[in-house]
Amino acid sequence: MKWWLDFSSDAFMVAFYLYCASFITFAIAVGGKRWSNRKPEDHANRWGKIGFGLAVVGWIAHLTFFFTRWYGGGHIPTSNMYEFMTFLGMAIMFAFIIVHLIYRNMLLGAFALPLVVIIVAYASVFPSEVQPLIPALNNVWLKIHVTTAATGEAFFAVGFAAALVQLIRVVDFTRTDKAGRRSQFWTEFSLFVIIVLVGFIVAVFAFRGAGYEASFTQEKVTIADDGTALSEVNKVEYSLPPLVAPYNSETVVFKPFLGMSKPLVEAPSWLNGVNAGRKLNTIIWSVIAGVILYGILRLIARKKLTAAIHPHLSDIDADDLEEISYRAIAIGFPIFTLGALIFAMIWAQIAWSRFWGWDPKEVWALITWLFYSAYLHLRLSRGWQGTRSAWLAVIGFLVVMFTLVGVNLVIAGLHSYAGA
Amino acid sequence: MFQNTKCECGHQNPIGTVLCESCGKPLDEGLLKDENAQLEMRYDGVARRSQKANPHVVDRIWNFFSSVKIAVYLIVITLIGASLGTIFQQESTLINMTERSEFAAFYKEKYGTVGVIYHALGLSRTYESWWFITLLVMIGTSLVVCSLDRVLPLYRALSKQQIRKHLQFITRQQVVYVGTLKDEPKEWVGRFGQELKRKRYRVWQENGALLAEKNRFSRWGPYINHIGLIIFLLAVLGRSIPSWHMDQYLSLYEGETRQIPGTNYYLKSDKFTVDYYNDSELANNQKGTKVVKLYETQARLYECTDACDDPLAEPVLKEVMQHEIRVNSALTYKGLSIYQNSYQERVRLISVHPTLLDVGTGEAFGTFDLLMDHPDRNQFQVGDYTLKLNDYYPDFSLDEQKRPMTKSRDPNNPAFVFRIFGPGVQSKGEIYIYFPLPNEKSKYYEQVLNESFKIRGDNTGRFAVKVENPIVDGKMNNIEYSEYTTYLNIRVDKAMPYIWVGAAISMIGLIMGFYWQHRRIWLRVDGDKLSLGGHTNKNSFGLRADVAWALGRSGIEVSPKSLDNRRNSR
Ligand code: HEM
Repeated sequence: MKWWLDFSSDAFMVAFYLYCASFITFAIAVGGKRWSNRKPEDHANRWGKIGFGLAVVGWIAHLTFFFTRWYGGGHIPTSNMYEFMTFLGMAIMFAFIIVHLIYRNMLLGAFALPLVVIIVAYASVFPSEVQPLIPALNNVWLKIHVTTAATGEAFFAVGFAAALVQLIRVVDFTRTDKAGRRSQFWTEFSLFVIIVLVGFIVAVFAFRGAGYEASFTQEKVTIADDGTALSEVNKVEYSLPPLVAPYNSETVVFKPFLGMSKPLVEAPSWLNGVNAGRKLNTIIWSVIAGVILYGILRLIARKKLTAAIHPHLSDIDADDLEEISYRAIAIGFPIFTLGALIFAMIWAQIAWSRFWGWDPKEVWALITWLFYSAYLHLRLSRGWQGTRSAWLAVIGFLVVMFTLVGVNLVIAGLHSYAGA
Repeated sequence: MFQNTKCECGHQNPIGTVLCESCGKPLDEGLLKDENAQLEMRYDGVARRSQKANPHVVDRIWNFFSSVKIAVYLIVITLIGASLGTIFQQESTLINMTERSEFAAFYKEKYGTVGVIYHALGLSRTYESWWFITLLVMIGTSLVVCSLDRVLPLYRALSKQQIRKHLQFITRQQVVYVGTLKDEPKEWVGRFGQELKRKRYRVWQENGALLAEKNRFSRWGPYINHIGLIIFLLAVLGRSIPSWHMDQYLSLYEGETRQIPGTNYYLKSDKFTVDYYNDSELANNQKGTKVVKLYETQARLYECTDACDDPLAEPVLKEVMQHEIRVNSALTYKGLSIYQNSYQERVRLISVHPTLLDVGTGEAFGTFDLLMDHPDRNQFQVGDYTLKLNDYYPDFSLDEQKRPMTKSRDPNNPAFVFRIFGPGVQSKGEIYIYFPLPNEKSKYYEQVLNESFKIRGDNTGRFAVKVENPIVDGKMNNIEYSEYTTYLNIRVDKAMPYIWVGAAISMIGLIMGFYWQHRRIWLRVDGDKLSLGGHTNKNSFGLRADVAWALGRSGIEVSPKSLDNRRNSR
């Protein structure tokens, strides 16, 4: 068993590096057209094919990871945050491969692959050990539910990637009026948000690599039913230097960082959950790392990032991108409905005795579904095709990510996996 | 509004028609003016039911709900409303509270001022609130009206299509090809039709004009989906019919039998078991913690067959089913489902098997059975002695005047007051109070109280009641107790079949509508000029590929991209 699990982790690393290589190749396909003296289409096709080949091999390694971990761990690896995120990455690759085979658009790889790389790297932030199942999770319907829901979401992710390319493609940098400036700003901002997520991952791995640690104890007093005060002492461990300490806490361990040897501030009283302070600290670090990364990229590009990417997209048709984005969402919508709502209801009925319980995670799955159904209905009228529809596809994926990650971080419910 | 509804082809169209129902020529002034604009092909440009000349009040309501714009507003408002309910915990998740004041206090304590506002606004009960339910009802209405408003006109438009279309209709589609034909028109059109047939189009021809169509059925997908959603919504509303829905909790300790309220059924928990993972099965960060692997209630369901409503007689029960109820495995019997909800580790005595002893000689006179919950008799024969049960306190305590009382009906600290009669005992008997629970507090009470009886002269201190050999081989002996109380969720949900049917229909509709696309190609030859137009409700990429492929096989090489007529449309 141990052997299978080790093999599985190796396969995962192989998949990760192949995805990175595939991304670089796709980037060359899109960005390097003027390097060689070949015709630009030939260049894009050639490198695009290599990139796609690498992506497929990477995906096979990813599948190997998945099935060997399943075998070694004794249950399908979708039951904690690490496993779910790696599965989501695998599903996005699947969706990407399908959409690529339909449209054979090289540009898509240049945007879908970094997304997968980020998701897979994000998964690695969570503890990767196999954990045994708690009774409620031990049900086939749960497995079917999680895998189909993630597949639906993966198509939304591809729709998001295409929509983002479309938006960067159509931004008009010559416009100086208010609406033009606004679209320039928001497109750039979308990239910035992605970079903040990368910043988070970089920060976590940098400090983890350096072996950084700090911990606090937090005392929490609750009044029980019979009026006695119960005091509970919780230990909170930080892996990033604590700029913000938990509310009402005592420092236990604090490795000095850049001359800082105690937290700068304490979390406000309304953030008094056990891990609230740590989460706030993580968000602050992500933004700091994201801003630094963004700054470096801006220095290299010496203009807005969207403006740097924009010229490389000039020979692609915005209508094609919009079609790809819409089609990916249209393929994903029934799968999502089936997986995230219908299968979820079947599972909930079997496990919790009610097919629907207004649990935050359920509500957010419903919100995602309503959002995409609004998107589909809006597209029925011509005014909501093109750029507006692309913005909806981008926001839609934000809603998906909030449902998957945000709900666990901010609101905890029945479905919330351990960790996070 | 636009008045002249008679087309130049002679067809009289209803008011609201955008494209002539017969030849497809644009009738709408806006469309006529801008010759380059692509045609609005929704419902093939036919008038909807809601487009009437003189709307009545009923029509106005109908018109309101028939608009997709309103539907989108409703969807978006519902979406935002639903998200508000996830900000803080909902009241429905706080199962141990019932009073409004309790809830108010909870929100105040847990979330502060914001929580007070949240609770006052009723957002703590978002999903049961009148406005949320109204939104769902409005969505349902909108679904019905919108679908009816469109499905009939669409059906009419698609079931009687003209083959030869107006030139403007053809050249203003999303996929267009215009060119000169070198071959003999009639023969070429025939060949082209053959090619399209190979792509599974149905093809009609009429002197130099052609109509090819495939996957029309996918147009009904959205409507089937909406029908499914309506059934689903109705089923959800149907759950508020009282007899359709039951949802209650029942707690049982091991060995207990209880009636399921409101039914003729009784449920017994034979045993409750919990298994934990052992350390070797746990991940490193979990080692040393107790992680539950499995918990189950071994349950028996009985049906009452006689004396069910008679408070004096014991009901006659017939066992109908046995099941090990687990989190993912409910007991279901005739529409009644019993689910494992949770459990509590709480020791509770069920019965003891004590001995009557002579304190002086240590002689044992005999043993008897004593049930904790509702002692089933008031006299026990032990050897030569008779023990009469004078009083029973399930949850013994002393009140302010130091008088004995019971705090509850649960046997948390049972006490039995006996009067002992027999050889060598004074005629009024000896009073003895017995506390079976083997803890210090009980034993202290037992000692002090019997001491006070002795002072009063009711007790000589000759007798003692106690369980002998309470532990044998590390196991409890002569004592029966329950270690766990199980909490079960009892449910009846008669709406479930409709919920699943609605969901299934909806899914079928979605698949029909999204994985197949309705594609149509119109073509006409005027002299040697070939005009071709194509339309699809989705995936024009696929349609262009079809057209380019068929054209290529009929001797006209074009790239699929060049057929795209949407160039200037945005
Ligand atoms: C609020 C009530 C609703 C109304 C009035 C409404 C109305 C409509 C209308 C008129 C169409 C166009 C049908 C056609 O052109 O063939 C449509 C399509 C559709 N509706 Fe709804 N709808 C509603 C709610 C929903 C909801 C809640 C869903 C959730 C899944 C939904 C899913 C769809 C889908 C998937 C389509 C097909 C869209 C497409 O072809 O791109 N509808 N709806």
